[in-house]
Amino acid sequence: MTVIAIDQNVCTGCQECTKICPNLAIEGLPHQPQKIDENKCVMCGQCVQKCKSYVSIAEHGFGAYALVHKERGLPESVVEPLFAAHNVTHIMEVKKALADPGAYTMVQCAPAVRAAIAEDFGAPLGDLAAGRLAAALRKLGFDRVFDTNYAADVTIMEEGSELIDRVKNGGVLPMFTSCCPAWVKYLELNYPELRSHLSSCKSPQQMEGALFKTYGAAVLKTPPEKVFSVSVMPCTAKQYECSRPEMNDSGFRDVDVVLTTRELAWLIKDAGIDFVGLQNEKFDLPMGDYTGAGEIFGVTGGVMEAALRTGYELITGKAIPAVDITAVRGIDGFRTAEIAVGDLTLKVGIVTGLKNVKPVMESLKAGQLDLHFVEVMTCPVGCVTGGGQPKLVVETDFEEAYKQRISATYDHDKELPIRKSHENPSVKKLYADFLKKPLGEKSHKLLHTTYCGDKKAHH
Amino acid sequence: MANEFGLFVSADIGKCTGCKACELACFQAHNKNNKVGKTIGTIAVPVTPKLYVTVIETASMPVQCKHCENSPCRAVCKQGAIVKVGHQIIVNEAKCIGCKDCLVACPFGAVTLLPFHAGGKPVPQPGNPGEGRIVASKCDLCPEEPLGPACVRACPNQALGVADINESRKQKNIAAAEALAVVNAGAPERRAL
Repeated sequence: MTVIAIDQNVCTGCQECTKICPNLAIEGLPHQPQKIDENKCVMCGQCVQKCKSYVSIAEHGFGAYALVHKERGLPESVVEPLFAAHNVTHIMEVKKALADPGAYTMVQCAPAVRAAIAEDFGAPLGDLAAGRLAAALRKLGFDRVFDTNYAADVTIMEEGSELIDRVKNGGVLPMFTSCCPAWVKYLELNYPELRSHLSSCKSPQQMEGALFKTYGAAVLKTPPEKVFSVSVMPCTAKQYECSRPEMNDSGFRDVDVVLTTRELAWLIKDAGIDFVGLQNEKFDLPMGDYTGAGEIFGVTGGVMEAALRTGYELITGKAIPAVDITAVRGIDGFRTAEIAVGDLTLKVGIVTGLKNVKPVMESLKAGQLDLHFVEVMTCPVGCVTGGGQPKLVVETDFEEAYKQRISATYDHDKELPIRKSHENPSVKKLYADFLKKPLGEKSHKLLHTTYCGDKKAHH
Repeated sequence: MANEFGLFVSADIGKCTGCKACELACFQAHNKNNKVGKTIGTIAVPVTPKLYVTVIETASMPVQCKHCENSPCRAVCKQGAIVKVGHQIIVNEAKCIGCKDCLVACPFGAVTLLPFHAGGKPVPQPGNPGEGRIVASKCDLCPEEPLGPACVRACPNQALGVADINESRKQKNIAAAEALAVVNAGAPERRAL
C-alpha cells in the first residue's frame, strides 16, 4: 500500500525532500524526478510538507491540473494547488461511509488537529479550534464524535504502569514511547534488535480504534461490524499504522480510514460548512472526554509530561507539586531531565525530529544511554508539525507556525478543568466497567502490541 | 536605493535547486486580494507566479524580467498595458488584452499569459462573461512588499538577490584597481621608472 508518493511528471528534482527525509528513502539524480524507496520510507510526510513542485499552468499547461486531480481521486471541491510529493488520499471512502445509512460512523481526532485546522480556513497560524472541530465533525454527519485525547489518557494509564513495572521489576530500560508510527517503523527498519525497548502500548489512535469496536459498540448498543472507524490525524504515517495487519484486536480492522488534517479541511469545504462561523461544541462521551495531559501529546515533550503528571501520583500517592513540568518542554532535538519522583530520580530523554534519534540509538547500543524513559517524535516539534498538517506556502512562516501551534496546545491544556490522565472520569469508568486494570488481560488483548512481526504472547 | 538602471532579481544558478519556493512566494505576495493566506488550503485560485523556474539537464534557475532599458515588451504593447514606473517595467493587467506580443518580444521568456483573478474569482473577458481573462504576468519587484521581493526571502538556498548591476559593476572596478594597486605597491623600482 502506497502512503507517500512523488509524481514523476511534476517533480523538478530539486532534492529538497531528500535533504529532510529522516531515513534516506528518496533517491534520484539532481534535476530528475525523485523516487521513494517504499522499503525505507517511514511515511512521516515531511517531504509532503517540504515539496513546492506544483502542477503549474506555466510549465505543464492549462489542462494538467484536472488530469492530476483525477488521477489522485480527489473530490471536485478540492481546488488548491497539487504538489509532486503527496499522500494518497482515502477521502472518498469516508464520504461513502458518511452517505451509507447502514454504517455507524465513529470519528476520533488527534490533539494536534485542533491546533492547526483553522489555518486552512484563513485563520491565524495556531488558532485553537477544538470546539469548532467537534461541531464540524457532527455537521459532517458522523454518528459519534470522539477524541483521540481520551485514548491518550488511556495510553498514559497503560504506558505509565508499564514504565513503573519495568523500573520496579528490572525490566528493559530505557523504555521508548511507541505513539509515533514513523518512529516505530524507523526502529523496526534500523534497530530491530532493540525492539524490547519500545513500550508495548499501541498508539492512542489504535487504542481508541480497538475500543470503538468493542467497548464503544457495546456502550452504544451497536453491532461492531457496522462501526466505520475514522481517525483525523496530523500525520501521514497513521494511515500506514492502521493498515498494519496486527491492528485488528477488536476482531475487525480497528481503524478503517485515516484522514489528515488537510483532508478533513477538504471534507468540511466539500460539505459547504462555514468552519469559521461554527459555534463551539463538545466531543461526545465517553470516548471524547479528555484532559490537558491527553492534549499535550501533540507537542514534543508532551507525552513525557503527561506520563510524569500521572506517574508521580501513582508512585508517591501525593499530588504533583507543579502540573506544568517545564523541564521537559522545549524544541531542542534531544534533551534530558532528571525528575524527582518520591525516592526515585527518574532520568528522562526527549527526541524530536527523527534525524536526532540516530545518535541516541547508537549510544543505547554502546550501553551509554543512562535513562529510564525516552519520548520520540518524528516531526520537527512533534505532531503539531506533522506531515498531514496544513502546509505552509512559504518556509519563512515555519518558525511562527511551530511557535503558535505549540502555544495553542499548552493554552488548551491550561484551560481544561482536568489536566491529569488518571483523573479523567470517563477513563476511570472505562477501567471500572470494562478493562478492570492497566496492563490487565483486556488491556493486553486490545491496547498492547508487538513489533517486527513478533507474535503476541498469551497472557 | 539610488539606482540608475532598472533593478532586477538575479539568480545564482550554482545555488538554485529548482524547488519553486520562489514561484509560490511570488504568487502568495501578489494574491492577498484572492484570499491567499499562509497555508496551501487557503488557495482557491490557480497559482500564477511572475517568475518561472526553468530546469535543464544540468541546472535550474528562475527566469524573470530583467527590466530592460529598452523593454521590447513595452515597445510592442499596443494597449499601453506595459509601462515604465521609475526604472521598473510594470504590467497593468486591466489594460492587457492577452495579445501575446510581449511574449514574442521578450528575449528571455520572462513574460507569459496566466489567468487573472480578483476577489477569489476569475475576472471575465469583456464581452464574453463565460470566459476568464488571461493576462501578461511578469516580475514587478513586489512594489507592495516592504521587505522587498518575496521570492528573494523565500528561497531556502539564498540563491536569489536583487541585483543593482551598476553598483556591482563599480565594486568590480574597485576590486580590479585594488588588484593592480598591490602589484604597484610591491614594486617600488617600477614606480621609479
